[in-house]
Amino acid sequence: MEDSVTQALADGLRRVLQQPAPDTALEEFGWREALATEGLSVAALLFAEQGAAGVASTALDDVLAAALDRPGGPETAVILPAYERTAAPSTDGAPIRGLGTARVARAATAIVVSDAGGRHRAVAIPTAELRCTPISGLDPRLGLATVDGEWPAGEAGDEVDWPRAVAAGQIALAYELIGASRTMLTLARDHALVRTQFDRPIAAFQAVRHRLAECLVAIEAAQAAADAAREAAESGGFPTSLAGMAKALAGRGARTVARHCQQVLAGIGFTAEHALHGYVRRVLTLDGLLGSARTLTVDLGQELLRTRQLPPALPL
Amino acid sequence: MDLDQFRAGLDAWLDEHEAELAPPAGADVTFDEEMAHLSKVKRLTYDAGWMRWGWPERVGGLGGSTLMRAYLGEALTVRDLVEPGIYSMTEVLAPTVITFARPELAAEMVPRLLRGDETWCQGFSEPGTGSNLASLSCRARLDGDVWRVTGQKVWTSLAQYAHRCVLLTRTGPPESGSRGITALFVDMDSPGITVRPIRAIHGRDEFCEVFFDDVVVPVDRTLGEVNGGWAVAMDLLPYERSTALWHRGAFLRRRLTDLLATESPDPAALGSVVQQLFAFHARSRGTQHRMARGETLGPETSIDKVLLATTEQAVFDLVADTVADRVVLGDDPTSARWRREFLYSRAATIYGGTAEVQRNIIARRLLDLGADR
Repeated sequence: MEDSVTQALADGLRRVLQQPAPDTALEEFGWREALATEGLSVAALLFAEQGAAGVASTALDDVLAAALDRPGGPETAVILPAYERTAAPSTDGAPIRGLGTARVARAATAIVVSDAGGRHRAVAIPTAELRCTPISGLDPRLGLATVDGEWPAGEAGDEVDWPRAVAAGQIALAYELIGASRTMLTLARDHALVRTQFDRPIAAFQAVRHRLAECLVAIEAAQAAADAAREAAESGGFPTSLAGMAKALAGRGARTVARHCQQVLAGIGFTAEHALHGYVRRVLTLDGLLGSARTLTVDLGQELLRTRQLPPALPL
Repeated sequence: MDLDQFRAGLDAWLDEHEAELAPPAGADVTFDEEMAHLSKVKRLTYDAGWMRWGWPERVGGLGGSTLMRAYLGEALTVRDLVEPGIYSMTEVLAPTVITFARPELAAEMVPRLLRGDETWCQGFSEPGTGSNLASLSCRARLDGDVWRVTGQKVWTSLAQYAHRCVLLTRTGPPESGSRGITALFVDMDSPGITVRPIRAIHGRDEFCEVFFDDVVVPVDRTLGEVNGGWAVAMDLLPYERSTALWHRGAFLRRRLTDLLATESPDPAALGSVVQQLFAFHARSRGTQHRMARGETLGPETSIDKVLLATTEQAVFDLVADTVADRVVLGDDPTSARWRREFLYSRAATIYGGTAEVQRNIIARRLLDLGADR
């Protein structure tokens, strides 16, 4: 995309996310059409904006559906893996155990993927046939649900590329985590410049400055990794392991940012009256969707020990 | 020549000449031998043209994108043909000399550095001047058409081998700070220069003390403006954090590959280090492309440096945990190399601006947090 188009799209998405019903507004905006034509670079814009604004949408379902070559839309949910996991929500026709975004409670149909010895098959199941239990949990505004159900008897399903869908979702979530991290850093930075102690703004104290610098380093590292993983996914020439690395870096980075910013914001950052807590809840929850920093890192290490090879070098 | 052509051509050439370019092996290889080998690699790659791509034609280069320089160092490092720390001094010093030296001087000198005929060093730090570079006191006094330099530098890498030095001197009053500094291009065989190598923790004479006792430097060896040395230093420092760091990242990848070939690190620790290295590469790649587009590099490269330093220490912490017995007890060449590199990795948060100074720059220049006092 040209820079001017990117900017216009980002501005448009930002306005859409300010609407009271962002999912409806996104659909009217034509976000799915933009995703279909421009690919993950549009997802990158949307998820960075929604992370920064702290807005919950169910656009993740559309990203996954598109990567599974399914039409998506408000009436189609995609069942996510169990928390902290990347494996398909069903294995070889075994009972379905997974998570849903807020869409699963509203949509007519859910796409469910099963792993049959490394080959993945998808079926569309009426949501009425699944047990969806809303989760309040750490981040009630996100509207997640647990999903249980039976794989429909006799259904083979269509072959789909589940690793590609996981990678697309991980990249989207990485951008959302980065967006939320940037807002946390802005909140802490602005506070540090106006909060005065010992006759100077606390931003003058090196201990505070270095915490905030550490946040920016974590954010820019995650940003560079997410951009590289996105480019790789779009060009199709790279393994999906890059998306997992980007997601892990964004999740770990967001935890680092949350910790430092909460410390810099101190008392006010510990209250439910300040905006920070919403972002802390959000990033800790998002970290566990489609694999967490912890599980993705262990899985990567085990994979590397199996193959005895590093992921391919990033070419210049 | 574009990057893809360069990559294909260089890879084929390196395949063909690998034996000729191979470094001396064994536990008893001296620094002298390593430096002689580096000169040989530079000469061979220069004569074959590879070392000249990405440098301006007016200094003996063949023009083209600076990405070719980044790839050359990467390819030589990944094949273990050069040690990136000593190889990349060219990337740190030559760009600034090209920008600030008289055109004739740059045209005469830079090819010698590229070809491996000469080694250059960087005379910035002093006993009383580390992170606070603007406080330096090595004095240069104008005497007719020459400078007379008296003072001391320290932590000067490769000074014992160097033919030239990019030297920062105090030419204004002592309290003139960053406004009273002048950069000079000094011949290291000038009378009055004494070099004393310093043995470092990893067993190498990594850097030196350099003493200047009324050393005469022709005034046409001034780099940039008189009392404009701060601009020279500020131009140079981002180069320390661009191509040179890309080469260092290639080195870390190489050594992690070596570790993984024979050892079994803790999976979580291994995964974390590989992720960090990926993030560094992704970040540094962006910097290489910005440089290739001709953008001015600035304080944002401090993020690259923090990431490199953190990653380098994470790689060698992993090594120290995985092959602790070799690092501590091993006397064979492989163990000695792990030990030396582990010890050297402790310097990553010190050289080229400490981790603390990088964070100060990030806080002041990138986060705009205002003054720190």
